[in-house]
This record gives sequence, structure tokens and C-alpha cells, in this order.
Amino acid sequence: MTRNAIDPVTLEILWTRLVSAVDEAAAAYVRTSFSTLVREANDFAVVLTDAKGRSLAQSSMSIPSFIGTLPATVKHFLKRFPAETLKPGDVLITNDPWRGTGHIHDISIAMPIFRHGELVAFAAVTSHMPDIGGQLRNSGIREIFEEGLQIPMLKLVAGGEPNEAVVEFIRQNVRVPEQTMGDVWGEVSACRMLEARLGELLEESRVDLDELGHEIRTRSEAAMRAAIGALPDGEYRYRLEHDGFEERIVIQNHVTIKGDSVHIDYTGSSPQLPRSVNVVPIYTFSYTAFGVKALLSPDTPNNEGSFLPVSTSAPEGTILNPSYPAASGARGMIGHLLPVAFMGALADLLPEKVQAPGSANSSFTISGKHAGRRYASVNFLNAGQGATAKRHGQSTLSFPANLGNTPIEVMESEAPISVLYRKVRRGSGGKGRFNGGDGLSFAFEFCGEEPATVSFLMTRIKAASPGLHGGAPGEIGALTLNGEPIDPARHWQLKAGDKVVMETAGGGGFGEA
Amino acid sequence: MSSTHALRIAVDIGGTFTDGVAEDVESGRIWVGKTLTTPDDPGEAVSAVVDQLLARIGDPQAAGRVADVVHGTTLVTNTLIERKGVPTGLVVTSGTADTLDIRREVRYDLYDLDLELPEPLVGAEDRFEIDERLGAAGEVLRPLAEEALAELVEQVKAKGLSSVAVCLLHGHVNDAHESRVRDALKKALPNVSVSISSAVAREIREYERMSTTAANAYVQPLVETYLVMLSKRMQEAGIAGSLRIMLSSGGFTSADAAAETPILLLESGPAAGVLSAVNAGLLGEVSHVLAFDMGGTTAKACVAVDGAPAVAHAFEAARVRRFKRGSGLPIMIPSIDLIEIGAGGGSLASVDNLGLLKVGPQSAGSEPGPACYGRGGEKPTVTDADLVLGYLDPDNFLGGEMHLDKGLAEKALADLGAPIGLDATRTAAGIATIVNENMAAAARVHIAEKGHDPRAFTLVATGGAGPVHAVEVARRLGISTLLCPIAAGAGSCLGLLAAPARVDRSWSKPSLLAALDWNEAHSVLSGLHRDATAELNEAGADAGAVDWVLTVEMRYAGQGSTLNVTVPYGKVDESLAPALEEGFEASYRDLYGTTVPNAQLQTVTWRLTGKSGVESRRFTWAADAADKAPEPKRREIYIPVRQRYEEVDVWERYALPPGMVLKAPLVLEERESTLIVPADGRVEILPDLTVKVVLGETS
Repeated sequence: MTRNAIDPVTLEILWTRLVSAVDEAAAAYVRTSFSTLVREANDFAVVLTDAKGRSLAQSSMSIPSFIGTLPATVKHFLKRFPAETLKPGDVLITNDPWRGTGHIHDISIAMPIFRHGELVAFAAVTSHMPDIGGQLRNSGIREIFEEGLQIPMLKLVAGGEPNEAVVEFIRQNVRVPEQTMGDVWGEVSACRMLEARLGELLEESRVDLDELGHEIRTRSEAAMRAAIGALPDGEYRYRLEHDGFEERIVIQNHVTIKGDSVHIDYTGSSPQLPRSVNVVPIYTFSYTAFGVKALLSPDTPNNEGSFLPVSTSAPEGTILNPSYPAASGARGMIGHLLPVAFMGALADLLPEKVQAPGSANSSFTISGKHAGRRYASVNFLNAGQGATAKRHGQSTLSFPANLGNTPIEVMESEAPISVLYRKVRRGSGGKGRFNGGDGLSFAFEFCGEEPATVSFLMTRIKAASPGLHGGAPGEIGALTLNGEPIDPARHWQLKAGDKVVMETAGGGGFGEA
Repeated sequence: MSSTHALRIAVDIGGTFTDGVAEDVESGRIWVGKTLTTPDDPGEAVSAVVDQLLARIGDPQAAGRVADVVHGTTLVTNTLIERKGVPTGLVVTSGTADTLDIRREVRYDLYDLDLELPEPLVGAEDRFEIDERLGAAGEVLRPLAEEALAELVEQVKAKGLSSVAVCLLHGHVNDAHESRVRDALKKALPNVSVSISSAVAREIREYERMSTTAANAYVQPLVETYLVMLSKRMQEAGIAGSLRIMLSSGGFTSADAAAETPILLLESGPAAGVLSAVNAGLLGEVSHVLAFDMGGTTAKACVAVDGAPAVAHAFEAARVRRFKRGSGLPIMIPSIDLIEIGAGGGSLASVDNLGLLKVGPQSAGSEPGPACYGRGGEKPTVTDADLVLGYLDPDNFLGGEMHLDKGLAEKALADLGAPIGLDATRTAAGIATIVNENMAAAARVHIAEKGHDPRAFTLVATGGAGPVHAVEVARRLGISTLLCPIAAGAGSCLGLLAAPARVDRSWSKPSLLAALDWNEAHSVLSGLHRDATAELNEAGADAGAVDWVLTVEMRYAGQGSTLNVTVPYGKVDESLAPALEEGFEASYRDLYGTTVPNAQLQTVTWRLTGKSGVESRRFTWAADAADKAPEPKRREIYIPVRQRYEEVDVWERYALPPGMVLKAPLVLEERESTLIVPADGRVEILPDLTVKVVLGETS
């Protein structure tokens, strides 16, 4: 083994402290957040990068989509605001889907960190906002302009002075300005906390951050390359269908393992759609990389090094590389399928490890006025996940995101609905040597004085989750209003006594029954 | 010796030993007893220890002088972990029978494709849906039908269940339906025990409340039988005093109340340990205590300010993955807020796929145990590192009962370190450094989350490995003062003796502060106060000396997390609003540096706590320290700050008289542990034999 600049004991300690500093900032952020998606679903991330925007450490419990996106956002900021133009006290902001996280509902913040007058690092936070204006999220939205306020790359704070014009623009364009701005300032506080913790660490240890970053990157990269290199070279493909609208959406991957790196190309996937299910390239990369890591090297830490051996591509103008002004609010519906598609491609190579496809989450958003008070509430429903060679699929569990449900008692306190049942759809998982996990069956009755607007994100209600190695597909999901199937890709009005039933899909089985 | 002074006895059942301490209330003098734990009938060991103590006191009338026996037990935890509860049923609102299977639909590990989730305590076949429905404000949407009750009774009877949990939607707001189900079951089936959610955990969120109620029902008949038997045994021993039980919250209650809601005893043992540390802090006139305990597999830490340990209201039992938050059964009970990490003497060291040295959370256990035990363990543990660094004496481990093999430890360390270029000593120093940093890191975050600065704290070290590592953990936190109380083994018992009587009641009802129904709040809280007072009286507290505080969990409307605002319990009306608002904003600013302009405040859960006043108890050992002047031995220990071995004085701890002052670095040895001070400092023996270490000071 080559001689390292930092010994393995010191490195372990400094590395743990870096991750712990990031986690501490993340925990503080969650506690102050106004967004349900942040607190029930960890739909945010905190990252520490070096002065070049290369990721050093990332909050541990953040959802996989931000693994790749947030460091990339910092690099985009650096292009727009070169290092020599940045000053202590600057805070940068954007929600550009292509440079940010794939949809405008997340606002990303980055703050340069200086030490002895020199730029040494960036603290960055991205988070799903309580509201960003525009339409209530649904998959039928056709262009980004309908989705809400677009925030270009700007300085939110310049040299410690808040840019009031930016603040006023945001406040004017969202439904709940106190809460959205509350979360933005919460992101800024988290960056400052990370700055303080990093300062203490550098002061106490007198370590050079670049040297530490080099060790972190090279060791993570080597571990990931070793995991990939253990597989034989080869090319593998998998085709996965999703509901789509007029026709099915196709995800076609082409996995090339060569030496110690892996490339996933998505040529052959559906063209970009005038709907909000488009997935920008960085999000395509992030969820693909999540699949690679979960399958091949789950314990390798997240940083720039661990993902250097992984690359993705998709032709421009397709659903996994759309052009502006594509809408992308429901990108998760498609993006969440990329990890299982990767596993599908490697099903023959790693039959003992892969998991059959399952279904991403569904949700409903309801808003209106009741007893003199406005309400707006978002609730998630999860589905059945795929089986593996060793076990049945998990029922009613979020994968690959991590979106929790809302307790019935909380749901009914927030909106005038009465839940009739929430139960496991027993037997809805695909049969096999091991069965797919079961979906969820959920029904509620609306009981408000005034009609409410409701929108849905429903997934796998036309195309089932397929099985692997002879396992049967799971059952598809369904959405009905007063017993009649309805189209989830638009808004609906509910009046007192209306009954909604949402059923989520079962996961695919594994092996012949 | 004969006396008329009242005696108190404390007994703590641990995994290996059952410890006991008797105290003469007047003089503070204590006697210690110990026996092997008897897992099949834990009460047997309790009786044995009590007999031992009574014999040691040496007064034939001693039994009659015992005012109370305070007891901590791991029975509830163990029953849940081993899944050895009684056949239990669950009654729920129609449409919610699958709640325990659905859980919260989240994964506790993002990258683990073979995630294992805890099995519900009640299987699907033993759950019964009942036709009734309440709304979110507690209003009756569908009345509970009498026929449904009759049918339920038949089903429970047919299944032969011994215990039933009842958790109906919005039962935390209105307990009428739950109470009727309980009454009907009790009347028809008097031998079946019934737990209702509104009595066990009166809080919003049906999955967590159902899980807590099911766990209570699952253990209830066992705990009740155990406590009845124990009371009988005490009577047979001639003890007239009452039996009191330690709660997870750090208070005690009567045996009857404990038998009713045994889930409140879940963390009874660790809570006693914390109270012992807090008591040591109070005696040392310290306001900010960091209780630090390190044993064979885990390290625990807890902050206590002004004698009050932090209490949390969400807990988990029987985790599938011990150190993974979210992998257990949620239990909503007030519990001392302990952080627990996988760092103990038995924690295994390894080199990961990145070429880094790692310690824990896996443990070598007692078989094969650390390499130096010579039982076939080949992987080095923290104990092996401590041995090679000179922190443990191979010939004086557990008072010399067990010989440690330094050669085997060195070999295991050298083998592990070789591939990453470290020799045995550097590997050992690395393991110690990493495990100390892991513990310091966890404590650092825990303290920051409570809004404190670690440098303001005094660390109180307990547990077998606690005093070995405490100084280095403190140094990493910027803490300069440490206390090391006597007798690690009996420490929990001292905590039991120092514990106050305590009751907790809660009520969840989210409301904007500006729109709060103060009449309702007043009436509900008065009811809870009456009920809690009755329980405190039963537990033997002096009603006049009880501190009542009201803790309101508040947030900005729209947020998910809450902050606690604590006010003295008194008049509940509009006049309380400004205090709540100011209290919230002050702690929000402390924690997050800012407040949120224009946001509305919301109250979520109201918690009423009554406890008998906190007082410090000074204990005096029955066996007095030897008179002859102590003489130190000398041995080499590793000094981390100087990265080399130095020869230092090694003292026998209990040979040192109170008032003696020594200069560190040094080693103080006792049977159960070793205090290592591997840095410059001043070491003083306090009057109650607690050792005080001030780092940096040299005289």
C-alpha cells in the first residue's frame, strides 16, 4: 500500500467529524422546517464541498436524489459567480431544475466558506419548499411556466446584506410566504452552522482541507472501483414500462461494465413529454448512481470520489434528458424506477442480489377552506416492492425514496376528511418463488362545508411492476371517485359525501412459483 | 448494632448481577449486597440480596425498620426483546386493523436492500375491528354499538387471549369509547387484562400509540404477577414498607401503578444509572452534568441541568438493528433522554474497505470475548487496546479473578494493523482514540441539540469501562472537570435511592395559541392533575412538597418539530399565553439563532409532571477506609497528548482517604473499574470518596 499523507486513524476521525458536522446542520434544519416533505420524507440535503465544488460529505439520511445534484449545483454557481468574485457573507440561491435538483419545488442555497481570507469550501442546502406558486403538483402540467416561480442563479445575500428585491419577488409569488421564506432562511442558518463546525474542526486539527478532501475522494473512488471491477466486463439491458398518458413511457437502459467503471445509457427511452414527468440529466444520474451503490457497494460513503466510476447518458429531447421549458414536477414517478431498472439489467449477473421492480409512492394534495380556515395538505401512500432471491418483497414501503405516511389522526386534524380505511392489499404482490410486496388500499370521504380542490400523483395504475426470473407481475393500482375510475393527471373538485379510493400497486415476484 | 432509624433499600437487576444497597436515612450510611441474577425468576435474586443486606446491617430488627424498597427492573425490556409476552389481542376502529403492519412506510437504512423490520407484537389474526368512530375533535361520528361489544367478548374468549390492547382513532382526545370497551371486557372476562391507549400514551399518531398500547398489554400480566410475588416475598422477610418501582422517566411510582402501566418501566435500569450520576453532580455542586456510562457493549450519555436529566417522549424497544434508529417498535413514554452508541470494552476493531480503522458497533460479547481473554477471540477489541496501553492491569482485572493475556492482545492488534501500516501500539492507540472520538462526537451533537455548550459541563463517569475512557472523552469535548463516584456496581442503586417520586400525564390537541380554547385546556389539565395527585399520594410522596410543572410542546404552525416550553403549573387561562410565547421564542433563538417573523404559534401536546423535590443525598460507606498510609505502585501507561508511554503512580482507590490530593497523570484502581487520568491535572478525593479530576491544573 502506498504511503498516505494522513494516517488511517487521523483520517477516520476527521472524516467522521466532517460527516457529523453535516448531520448536525441537517438535524437543525429538519427541526425548523415548514415542509412536510422535509420532515416526513427527508426531502432535503446538506452538503459540504471543497472550494471547487467537489463533494466531501453529505447528510446521511437525505434522500438519494441529492447525492449528485447538490455538488453539481455548487459547480454551476461557481461558473456563474467565479471564486474571485465571492466574498464572505455571500449566499447564492436558485431553483433552476437543470442546475438544481430537477424540479422548481426545491430551492438550493450555497454559501462560500472563507478561512484567513481564502475560499476553502462551500456549505450547500437544498430543500423541497412548502410552496413555490403555480399549479398544485400533478403529472398533467405541460410546461415549467405553469409550475410556479423560477429563481435564476442569484445572490440572496451579498456581503452579509440580504437582497430585498429577491426576497420580495419570492414572497409575492408563493401561497405561504412566511413558510417558504422561513425555510429559505432555515437553509441559510444550516449553512452558517456548518461553517462554524468546519471552522472549529480546522482550527483544532490544523488539517489542510484539500489534503483531507484528496484522501476522502481517492479512497471512496478506489472502493467503488473495486466493487465494480469485481464484476466481469459486459453489456446488459433492461426495458421497463410505466403508465404514461396516451401511450406507455419506456425506460430502456444499456449498462456497460468495463474494467472498474460502469456506464448507463438510456437511448431507446421515450421522448420528452408535454407533462411534468420529465427527468433532467443530473437527476437521471443521481437515481442511477443510487442503484449502483445500493447493489454493489452500499457502505461506501457519498462524495465526489464514489461516483467518479459511474456515468450516465441519454439523447437530448428524451424523457431522461429533456429540453427547456419541459415540466418536471412529477419527475420522481420516472426517476424512482431507475435503480430497479439497473438491477433488472444485472439480474442474470447477480441473481442472488437484485430486487424485482416495485412501485414508487403515490400522493394526494387537498386544499380548500373549512370552518373559516384555509388548509392545504399533502399525504403519501406507498406501494409494494419487488421480491429477491432470498425474501418476499416488502409491503407498503417507500423505495427508493423514503416518504413516510401521515397518521390518520393528523390527516383528519388538518383537512375535513374522514378516512374509511387504510389497509394492506393482501395478495396484490406478484406471485413467485418469493412474492412481491403488497400495495396499499386507502379510502376517505370528504366532509368539508365548501368544495375542495384535490390533485393526485398516481403511479403504476396501467403498467404493472414486472417480476424477475419467472416471477409474476404485481397487481396495478387504481383511483376512483364515488366508484368511478378517474384520471389522476388533472385537478378534481370534491364536495361533501364524495368518496375517494386510492389503491397502490403490488411489487414484482421473484422466480417461478 | 441496633437503631431506630428508618432504612431504605434499593435493588437493581442487571444482566449478570443483581445489586442492592441499604441506606440508613438519618446518617446516610450504606451497605452493599450482590448476587447472581436469576433470569427464570428474577424475584429470587431480589429476595436474596435483601436478605444479605438485612444480615449485613446486623440488627435483628432491621426488617421492621425498612420504610421502602425501591426497585429497578429489566423485565419489560427483556420480555419485548425475547418476545416472551402473553397471547395478546388488539381492538381497533374499523378500517385500521393493518396499522401495525403498515407502520410509517419508511426505511431506516437507505442503502440496505435486505431491510429487516420488527414483527408486530400482535399478529393479524388477533386484531379485532369494532364499529365506532370519533372525529378529530373527539366528537362521536358513529356511536359504539352494544352488539359489537358482545361479539368482541366472544372473540376474545374463543381465542383464549390473556391480555387485550384497545386503541381507537382519536382516543387520545376522547376516551369514552375505549373506556366502554375496557369495561365490557373486564366485566365479562375478569381474568383478561385490558390496556387502553388513552391511559397508556394519550398522544396523537395512531401507529405509535397503538404500538405502545400493544407493548403494554403484551407485558402487563407478567409484570403484575412479578410485582405481586415480590411484595409477598418482602412481607415474608418481615418488611412492612412499601414497594416502589423506578420509571424510565427517572422517578418512581407505587407497585400498583407500575403493574397497571408497566411499559413506563421500559428503561428503568439505565434511568437509575443516570440519577446516580446526577446525584454525584449535585453533591459536587455542579449545575451541568454529562452522565457518561461505558460498559461491555455500549456507551450511554445524558445531560442533566440543575439536577433534572433531559427527558424525551419517543422511544424504541426491541430494535432489529441495535444501533439503527427506526428499526424498533415505537414506544411513546417519558424516558430519560439517553444517547446510546455501540462503543464498549467488547467493541470490535476492524479495517473497512477504504483502509480505515473502525471500532464497533459489533461486539465480541463474552464468548469469545476480547482476544486477551484467551477464549479464542482473534479480533482485537477496545479492552485489548486498553490492556496494551497499560490502562488495565493483566493481573488485577475484576479484582484479579480473571487474568488477561497481553501477548494475545498484542498479536491481535498487530495482525489488524499490519495491512494499514500500524504496529500493535499504534493500532491500540488508534482504537482508543477512535472509540473516544465516537463517544465525544455523539455527546457533542446531543448537547448541541439541547442548546448547550459542552465546555460548561462536568462529566460524571460510571460503568466498567467508563472511568478508563472518561478523561479522553472529556478532553475532546473541552470539558475540564470530571467526577467518578464510588462503586460502579452499586451505582444504579444509589440512583434509585436518590430518585424523586414522579408522575407524568399528557394531552395532545393541536391548536393555534391565538385560538386556543382555554376553558377546555383548564378542564382537561385539572382532571389530569387530580388523577396524577392521587397516584403520587399512593407512591408515598408528600403532597405539599411536590413540584408541578407544565411543559407545552410548541411550534410555528406548519412546522413538524416542536420545542418544549416549561412553566410552573398553576392557573390555566389566557394569562399563560405571553409566557408561552416568550418562552418559545427565547429557546428558538438559542437553538437556531433567529425567530420566524409573522409566523403563528401552535400548541401541540401538554405535559403535566409532578415530582417530589430534588435533593442530593450524601452516602457514607459502612466499611471505612483503611488507616495505614497508602503506597502507590508504578506502571507505564500511554499518554495520548504526548504520544508515548510514561511511568505513573498506580493507587488503590479505596485506600485513599478523603481530602487527599494527587497529581496526574495517574491510575486509580478498584475492583470494578480503573480510573485512568492520562493527562496533566489535579485529582482529589472528596468526602464521600468520589474522585474529582480537574484537567490542566497540577496542584
